[in-house]
Amino acid sequence: MPDRCAERSEYTEGAPALGCGRLSRDQLELAALSRSDRDVPVDERTVAHLVICRNCVSAVDRLHSEHTLLQEVATASRGPGLPLKERESAELDDGPIPGYRLGRELHRGGQGAVFEAEQIATRRRCAVKMLLGGQFASAAQRARFEREVEVVAALRHPAIVTLYESGISRRGEPWFAMEFVEGERLDEHLRRTGAGPREIAAIMRRIADGVAYAHRRGVIHRDLKPGNILIDPDGSPRLLDFGLARATPERDAHDPRSSSTLAGEFVGTFAYAAPEQLAGDPTAIDSRCDLYALGVVLYEALAGKRPFEGAKSIGELVLQKTTQTPRRPSGFAFERGARIDRDLDVIALRLLAPDPSRRYASAAALEDDLARHLDGRPILAREDSITYVFTKIVRRHWIASSAALLFGLTVIGAGVALAVLYARAEDRLAAANRAQERFKLALTAADPELGEGSSEMNVREYLKVVEREVRAGLDAEPIEVGDLLLTLGVIQLGFQDSESAGNTIRTAHAALADGFAHGELDGVRMAAADVALARLQFLEADFTAADKSYRRALELYVRTTGPLSVESVNTERELASALRELGRFDDALACLERAYESSRRLPKGAESAIARAGIRNGRAILAARMGDEERALEDFRAALTELTRSVKHDDFRIGRTLYSIANSEFKLGRLDAAAVHAQEALAILRLRKGDDARWTVDAALLASKIEAAKSGRDQAQDTPSR
Amino acid sequence: MAAMDLDRTTTALLTALHDSANAEAWSLFDRRYRPILLGFARSCGLSEHDAAEVAQSTLVRFIEQYREGRYDRERGRLGAWLVTIARYRVLDHRRKAQSLPRNASESTIVNLDDDRSVGDAYEAQRRLSILREAMQELQERTKTDPRTIRAFELLYYHGMTANAVAADLGMQVQEVYLAKSRVAARIREIVARIEREYEEEPGEWAASEKRPSAELDR
Repeated sequence: MPDRCAERSEYTEGAPALGCGRLSRDQLELAALSRSDRDVPVDERTVAHLVICRNCVSAVDRLHSEHTLLQEVATASRGPGLPLKERESAELDDGPIPGYRLGRELHRGGQGAVFEAEQIATRRRCAVKMLLGGQFASAAQRARFEREVEVVAALRHPAIVTLYESGISRRGEPWFAMEFVEGERLDEHLRRTGAGPREIAAIMRRIADGVAYAHRRGVIHRDLKPGNILIDPDGSPRLLDFGLARATPERDAHDPRSSSTLAGEFVGTFAYAAPEQLAGDPTAIDSRCDLYALGVVLYEALAGKRPFEGAKSIGELVLQKTTQTPRRPSGFAFERGARIDRDLDVIALRLLAPDPSRRYASAAALEDDLARHLDGRPILAREDSITYVFTKIVRRHWIASSAALLFGLTVIGAGVALAVLYARAEDRLAAANRAQERFKLALTAADPELGEGSSEMNVREYLKVVEREVRAGLDAEPIEVGDLLLTLGVIQLGFQDSESAGNTIRTAHAALADGFAHGELDGVRMAAADVALARLQFLEADFTAADKSYRRALELYVRTTGPLSVESVNTERELASALRELGRFDDALACLERAYESSRRLPKGAESAIARAGIRNGRAILAARMGDEERALEDFRAALTELTRSVKHDDFRIGRTLYSIANSEFKLGRLDAAAVHAQEALAILRLRKGDDARWTVDAALLASKIEAAKSGRDQAQDTPSR
Repeated sequence: MAAMDLDRTTTALLTALHDSANAEAWSLFDRRYRPILLGFARSCGLSEHDAAEVAQSTLVRFIEQYREGRYDRERGRLGAWLVTIARYRVLDHRRKAQSLPRNASESTIVNLDDDRSVGDAYEAQRRLSILREAMQELQERTKTDPRTIRAFELLYYHGMTANAVAADLGMQVQEVYLAKSRVAARIREIVARIEREYEEEPGEWAASEKRPSAELDR
């Protein structure tokens, strides 16, 4: 089409290539923007590349000066008064969202409403989603929202509904304007058309392709479900609501205090959420959560029902997701007289593996396997591994006291456990039974099916309802209910809801301390309450208070379980962290030494070895803080030795420790050793945590810094010989 | 690179101003310096009306002084001379009004007792004026594709993302970026040419110490 070519030539001809070609124009532009606006997201890979590539740095320089000039021009020619954008909207409308005329409501859910809308300036038809009641509490929150939106708005893929713009409504609620897509929900579409397994696989393949695209750009959806997948009139899937996704969440997670702003505010529909997502451990959430959700979507499409349908509460659902292998979808299909290829069974079950590392390595790998299936080639996921995957994981989950387990145990079993284990005296048994009844009632009250809960309620909200119900019984049974509240508080802490957690834990602690003072509570339980309070105070950066609470806990543990118990050792190690934050390095060191001495006399086994590795790690961090990098390196190495005795050679903790070793070596200028260790760390972290995980990216960044330093050194060495 | 119009340089304009009948020179001079003086007076906290009056009287006073031979370029920078006149005019207005500045918050208002603050304010206005002129020239007098300019406007006036602009204009995102770079390159060319016409590098201000004294202006 000659006309088209002529039209394009203005843009494409003579355009100089920017940088070395490794970074996309988008990445370069964002890097340039971030020079003047620190809130602009730059992915770590770009940062790592810019450390070593002069070409790209000068490209970024160029774009930055371009951007500065154009901003100046815009300010100059905009004239006095309101910026153009605001002037236009002030003239054009007085609706809730400047610049948009809202039409009919298309959908209303737990978190917001979607309207058909017209962008007044461009007359473009679009959909506007308003997050109701979603006012930002702080400028930082708002900045984060804007940052995330910018990342999401950069996504362009045929399977992803494009986000145009976002902002804050006149009432202070965040809104998103996105492409208007006429279509029906995936589940409705499949029901209406009676699509067979082949059509389902083909649609899933295109969905996987879109998800893979977003993942490569560091965007995780986090809320994939049939309601967020529309099928347009051409039969193409379109993914909605990437607005809820956020950029790779682990960005600042080094610091436990700042991670509260990054994750844990998970919003989603429980049935499609991965177990680690329900557990609320922010560091565990990565792109593989989306793979789990796709597994549920695929399973439901094939089987006609969800993999875990019998659960009466969220807790039960978590427990099922972590401990049960769902029935093969082909079984259900067979009952309906339909046939489903075994391959699809394998693919769906693989995606539903409770351990993220047992799912597909990436959405791209899933897409590839679906393509293989559609082409009649053998798929790469192995059938015989499925049982293994599940049995293995179940065991692992029970051993590791993961938040998922804690959550499942608490919600389902805490009432029972408390009643049976702690109600020693007859009179307490009656109280325990009443507490247990109350707990069951609380769960029912918050249950979406039976009580006031909603199916789109997030875990935090759910916990709040449970907490309110439980708290009502505090006066009647202070000890039992206090214990329950304490556990709930710890869970809330796990969900980074520190405000609720603080309240809950303090109430529980006060009730338990009162019981302890009256001789109604034993020392071990009181010590556990003290530790919970101390962790809360640590996260609140009140290290003086944390120090006091840890000491109280330690004293109680030593008195009840003896100094040679895992509890005492771990509490002493945590106490050292509080002391370190207080700048009391000598005291911290003394604590660690004592903990180490005790840990050596613990019964042999993985638990004590891991405890020792933790202490060594603590000592290393302390040494680094005191500026003794040499000593830090030695301790990191010792931690590694302990770990290699107790965990598998490619356990992610080994990867993490190797990373710390490489980092110390780098700081000490031992570049060759650092390079080797950084590469080893990178390989393990990539395998265990995925390409986009924070630790992996950090390791890649470190490796590239080391390479850059090495090449700098080599050049310097060449010079005198010339 | 666009050729410089020698008739438009400050030297050429000043020479032509000796001829009171040369309306074109006057109008060019006026177009160039009035917006700067207006902006300067505004940034001194004057109302729109008072600022216009200051700009007008400053220009008139300058032409008078110039024709009387009191200013020649050897004695210092034109901008410094102009702004000194403007400074006294602003003080007059303030005295008359007997009130505190009201247009802007106090911290942003030029400190008229401080040469540096006055100089910076003038420089900022001069830069804005040049950029405005450059933008206008780009929009009206170059053969730049309107879509290229529209892409720039949507990006920088409307704060839209490159993706949104691309969707809006039916372009590729890459094209939006190229359009942006193209606008920047052309603006840069035009600005460089206008700067040469001013014959005053921004840096000269600090070096220029000679100013008209208060008596000169009275």
